[in-house]
Amino acid sequence: MSKVQAALKRVVLGRPMSSGELEHTLLPKVIALPVFSSDPLSSNAYATQEAMIVLALAGAAGLSYILPISLAVATLLTIVVISYRETVKAYPAGGGAYRVSRENLGMYPGLISASALLTDYVLTVAVSMTAGVDAIVSAAEGLAPLRVELAIAFVVLVTLANLRGAKESGKLFAVPTYGFVLAIYIMLATGFVRCVGGCPQAESAGLDLGAGEAITLVLILRAFAAGTTALTGVEAIADGVGAFRYPQSRNAATTLAIMATLSISMFLGISWLADHTNVVYVHDAEGVAHQRTVVAQIAAAVFNENFMFYVVQAMSAAILLLAANTAYQDFPRIASILAQDHFMPHQFQNRGDRLVFSNGIIILAVLSSILIYAFDADLNRLIQLYLVGVFISFTFSQWGMVRRSVRLKPSGWKRTVAISGFGGTVTGVVLLVIAYSKFSHGAWMVLAAIPVLVYVMRSIYAHYSDVRAQLGKPERRPTDRRPGNQHFVIFVPHIDQATSRAIGYTRAISPSSVEAVTASPIESAEWNRLAPDIDLTRLNGNGSTVRRLRRHLVDRRATLAHDDFLTVIVPEVLKTRSVLEIFRRPGLHRLKAGLLRARDVQVLDIPVVEEDIDPEVEATHEPARNYAIVLVSGVHNATLQAIEYAETLRATDIRAVSFGLDPERTEGLGNDWLEAQIPVPLEIEAAPFRDMGNALVNYLRPFASDGTHRTITIIVPEFVVPTRRHQLLHGQAALIVKRHLLFERGIVVVSVPYHLD
Amino acid sequence: MARLRRVIENLSRAPEDIRADNLRHWASTIEGAIPLADVEPRTRVKVAGVVQNIRIDPRQGTGAVEATIIDGSGYVVVRWLGRSSMRGVRLGVGLVVEGVAGRSQQGEPTLLNPEYTLIPGPEHG
Repeated sequence: MSKVQAALKRVVLGRPMSSGELEHTLLPKVIALPVFSSDPLSSNAYATQEAMIVLALAGAAGLSYILPISLAVATLLTIVVISYRETVKAYPAGGGAYRVSRENLGMYPGLISASALLTDYVLTVAVSMTAGVDAIVSAAEGLAPLRVELAIAFVVLVTLANLRGAKESGKLFAVPTYGFVLAIYIMLATGFVRCVGGCPQAESAGLDLGAGEAITLVLILRAFAAGTTALTGVEAIADGVGAFRYPQSRNAATTLAIMATLSISMFLGISWLADHTNVVYVHDAEGVAHQRTVVAQIAAAVFNENFMFYVVQAMSAAILLLAANTAYQDFPRIASILAQDHFMPHQFQNRGDRLVFSNGIIILAVLSSILIYAFDADLNRLIQLYLVGVFISFTFSQWGMVRRSVRLKPSGWKRTVAISGFGGTVTGVVLLVIAYSKFSHGAWMVLAAIPVLVYVMRSIYAHYSDVRAQLGKPERRPTDRRPGNQHFVIFVPHIDQATSRAIGYTRAISPSSVEAVTASPIESAEWNRLAPDIDLTRLNGNGSTVRRLRRHLVDRRATLAHDDFLTVIVPEVLKTRSVLEIFRRPGLHRLKAGLLRARDVQVLDIPVVEEDIDPEVEATHEPARNYAIVLVSGVHNATLQAIEYAETLRATDIRAVSFGLDPERTEGLGNDWLEAQIPVPLEIEAAPFRDMGNALVNYLRPFASDGTHRTITIIVPEFVVPTRRHQLLHGQAALIVKRHLLFERGIVVVSVPYHLD
Repeated sequence: MARLRRVIENLSRAPEDIRADNLRHWASTIEGAIPLADVEPRTRVKVAGVVQNIRIDPRQGTGAVEATIIDGSGYVVVRWLGRSSMRGVRLGVGLVVEGVAGRSQQGEPTLLNPEYTLIPGPEHG
């Protein structure tokens, strides 16, 4: 990365933090409340409205049910919060629905909960951003045509804030959350006072809806289902116990109670005022102009559109846009837990420069932006997809708690069974109601997506366990190799400095056999001047160069013993030190990619950057010192094979190096190394900024390799799995290494593929 | 204004320097420990540092384990011979070591088979 890029990244994302600063990102209650509660609190901005949209289908008579329905929702919220306080106390390390149901109910319930949560977090972002833009548009109607663009722009903004890290964004979120609560309370108080002598009337009061549909049980249930949006964030606190300051469980339980009190009072207050100011809210009904949000109408009536109206709108917009933050806290966290349990690609465990799980954050941003775009930022359509996931995870996790209490019988377990059992039953019934009443309106998409996600996670798990088994199998342990087991084939596209280097390198290694092959018209006399000791074979026959070379290698491989290594050397002269070089030479790149899949053939790159070429130096001379460095991530068959490879290189010094991206694991690695009695020293180097590329470059600097006197061979064990999609599940260490070392002088990189079945 | 200046200063500083500051501060809180930069050969010293690098060489005898510790001022290599397990030594952990300092063949300040205690480092518990 260039200096300018680094400085820019630092300004936007903040300075890189060393792993130890993790402790400092723990949240005190006063910050944790806005971080985790912005979602349930903000849903008050649209929960009443969504219930009213359904009720309005039955005309004015239907709307009169808004208060009883709100009371039912408030009761449900109370039940769930009381039940979740038990979960938080039982799981001080963070008891998300996934962990609770997996531990107590089994793998599939756990995966179903996890998938439900993941889909719901994506929806939380899409819904909150859309509702926030609605609040803005209610105050500034000129912006209406830009809804989609605005919503996505806000996704980008919140994404950047989150890539900076939890605590800073915590402060950022405190103002709008507390501001919103305050603004709504002021609106409610003013409204109640003004209602003493007859309530002010909303702009839509008396809007004639006609008779509409009959009031059926289904309609009432649908309205109730729409109102339950008020419950969304409870899960977030239970999931995020680990982000609280100590004592974590108690702080999280207290925060839950505060959140519920605030949320219920606001929700009931808004519904009461909506009822008494006679708001009539319909969605896209014929003959009715597009309306402002319900909260906007109440605020307008209560405050007569004075400045407080704008304060309420601004705070609603702000909290909604930031409510998405709850999902940004939890989606990456649950993704990292799933990755740890091998249900999602391991890359989701990586904390970025700022100690946040960057990969999860970026995926969340991309998925929710796609949803906003696909649904045209229409709140009512998006909200139909919402909530199924929340209630699935509520239900599973509470039944998990029941199972746990019955099994472990901690003190007071009967109380927990009663509370969680009741809560689980109620949310189970509500889940059926939501699934039934919203199914044809869009909930089917979520219900279809969950089994797919479960299947994918299950297959990822199966793949990882299969790989672990193969890597650990003693009968697949590679055999001992000696320098005599090495055979080289030098691929010669042109005669240039890189080719000379390749010849010099070959002489330093002195493998058992060397041959040069070419597909270009190279004069024999010219070749003999350069390397009279190496035979030049011409690749004749049909097909592309890659195919001819591969055929040649396969034939050559067949003549060698099983224990032998066959290495093809690819020299190349790079014009500039730029990553774009790869695109400038697609042919060569394709060649290397094609060779990687040739079984039992190693590819070794010898790159020379043009400006490093010194015509005075005879490059074909062998380097005096040749260091072999094996990159290690764990003690397993792939590592052992790479070490055997290093043994064949006649190196001055062989060592294994591991970068401590996760310091917790380094002690285990050391123990494994001592126990396996591998006859090569291992160095474990700290990478306090978790950037393997830079740590590697710093590590190599003291070797002062120049390619002519001192050469370093970096050996990267690489898994090659039979299917391409599985390759994505493995860290791209080789790629990272090559990207950082391609332009370093005198360093050659060779990947030693370990083929898995 | 002072705050703004501090923000700008922090932005322009290398993250490695900020880390060194934190380490120096941490090491200064450990009683009786002298900065690693002040370690003189052939004297008895008490030092504290964070494990930055571990080197394991199973070839030498029954196994040699070396830990390079840093405290923001310098480094010292702590060397144990004849070990078959790490016994708590891992990257990022704090190490308080007492022994007679020496120099390795490469001229590095070294403590051979010293007494040591593990304490939480400033970065990892």
